Amino acid sequence: MAAEVRHSLSEKTNPYKPVLVRVERVTVENDSGDLKSFDLSFINEEERFSFVPGQFAFLSVPGVGEAPFGIASAPEERLMKFTVKRVGSVTTALHELEEGAVIGVRGPCGNHYPFDKMRGKDVVIVSGGFSFTTLRATIAHLLTPANRPAYGKITAVYGARSPGELLYKEELRTWEKGSDIDLVLCVDRACGFDWPATEGLVPNILKQTAPDSANAIALVCGPPIMIYYTHPVLKELGFKPEQIFLSLENRMKCGIGKCGHCNIGPKYVCKDGPVFSYQELQGLPEEY
Amino acid sequence: MIYFLPNERREKWVARLAGEFNLFLPVQIEGKIHWQKYDKGNFAIDQLALSEIRAAEPIKAFLYRPREVVATFPKPIDPAQEMSALLFGVKGCDLRGLDVHRKMFLEGEFRDPFYTRRLENTILVAADCPMPRESCFCNLVGLNPFVNRGVDLSITTFDDGWVIEAVSDRGEKLANSAKDLFVPAGEHHRARREEQRQKALGILEAQNSKKWNPELSRAIAEKTSDRSFWKKAGEDCVECFGCLMTCPTCFCFLLYDQAKAKTGADVNQFERTKVWDACYMAMYARVGGGANPRPEFVQRFINRFHCKFMHFMNQHGFYACSGCGRCFTACMGKIDIRNILGQL
Repeated sequence: MAAEVRHSLSEKTNPYKPVLVRVERVTVENDSGDLKSFDLSFINEEERFSFVPGQFAFLSVPGVGEAPFGIASAPEERLMKFTVKRVGSVTTALHELEEGAVIGVRGPCGNHYPFDKMRGKDVVIVSGGFSFTTLRATIAHLLTPANRPAYGKITAVYGARSPGELLYKEELRTWEKGSDIDLVLCVDRACGFDWPATEGLVPNILKQTAPDSANAIALVCGPPIMIYYTHPVLKELGFKPEQIFLSLENRMKCGIGKCGHCNIGPKYVCKDGPVFSYQELQGLPEEY
Repeated sequence: MIYFLPNERREKWVARLAGEFNLFLPVQIEGKIHWQKYDKGNFAIDQLALSEIRAAEPIKAFLYRPREVVATFPKPIDPAQEMSALLFGVKGCDLRGLDVHRKMFLEGEFRDPFYTRRLENTILVAADCPMPRESCFCNLVGLNPFVNRGVDLSITTFDDGWVIEAVSDRGEKLANSAKDLFVPAGEHHRARREEQRQKALGILEAQNSKKWNPELSRAIAEKTSDRSFWKKAGEDCVECFGCLMTCPTCFCFLLYDQAKAKTGADVNQFERTKVWDACYMAMYARVGGGANPRPEFVQRFINRFHCKFMHFMNQHGFYACSGCGRCFTACMGKIDIRNILGQL
């Protein structure tokens, strides 16, 4: 899988320099309005890069700065999607962008979800909040007709605080109706909405859903508290540490394993991650 | 090849090198050694502090600039080719910094094009340390107070002149172009050099007689959970980051963007600047959302020891420490890593 990746970052080009992309579509994703998705097209087609779900890239707003985000679109999609939560200066500047704006993108960086290991197996996806992005890319990739037969049963448990906070609602409705994926949506509080039907926390709903661990790989991405309570459930369901993969978010500046910021012990999240197996993480300090 | 340059010809050779390269050399200023650019009108060969220990500034500043623009956009600007630099008087400890930076910036999937270009365009002329100072401990990190690898020329100073060895092809070419000044050296020069080098080593061995734990990496790993040890070791730190800024091996950097100009034609032209960073800073690993994986100073203090003496050794087979002593020379709290590592 990794061999398919063509980097825009190479020795010949400058790995610190972004390539230019145009904002084709801006979507407000949630009720609070602090989550927006940006669908981007490359200004120069020859600068387009390929990637694998799980990888991330840096978005830069000219003059403001850049920050890393998981790529939320599947490689099969024409536009590259990023979903951004407004928290600091770069994300605020991104939120102020309108369609047609030109920004920079630098990537793809890091490793990806273990599609080679997932092949022929069931896939269990567990996600909470706005970290669903790279898992949305993963699901979209797995559900592509050409890819779907290569995998077993696909189960996804995705939760948010309230129905309005779920990302990519239209797609979720489509996936929920189809038979290619067993999608279980849940919210902490239903707030009087009839969709999604399930009220409860992700770890509890995962426990009820009880996916078979016998020949499966679990992909987990969410807030630390969700991860903390999800582990025991996966363990109870029979998942071994080498069957569980997590995506981490540490502070990054260069994205190419040189600037030092994202280290967890001897590993750099930007280069050796962001996807780590739970087995790998057990040998590292808990600095994530 | 090995050559001898008599005292009276040294100045001429140095001046000739300065005509060809951007020549930087160590000079003594108010009792301290500093790198200075060769200035023809204001330079006398006696100012050259070649027989002294390393300068206050690490040579990394020449190759990995404290601050440099690494990208401009949307209009790309190719940085102008700089004149080749020649660092005259590089020390054995300085080379450890280069080794660490080669691993970080030149190896792996991506090369740093700026570091690559500077390294290619920098000529290194080393000089032995005949008189190590109290702050020197290069012998404890597997280095010597002299150089016979990884440079272009290597100089050993004597009362009557310099013994010069060409270490690389580039060094051999430099030596060839100074044939009219150099005298071919023989076995007795090698013997003199060897004697002086062993004497310097003897000084180091005597002052650093307590050897570190041969399993230092493992000892650090085992000591990691003993927070009280590390808290005590780092209790005098005022978080000034002087140790990291003067460290020849530290490689961390930050990238930030800004407009090239506040007004005028370049207002929509942006620059991305790379600037040295320090892992001791509280905000170093803090993410946008506010989470900080190492909020306590003791965690960042331990991380530095892990990086230099555990991870680098385990991954690359050598410590990311040069034994130059700049860190505790710069330290306001007088935290001496030799004492900390000696306890493990």
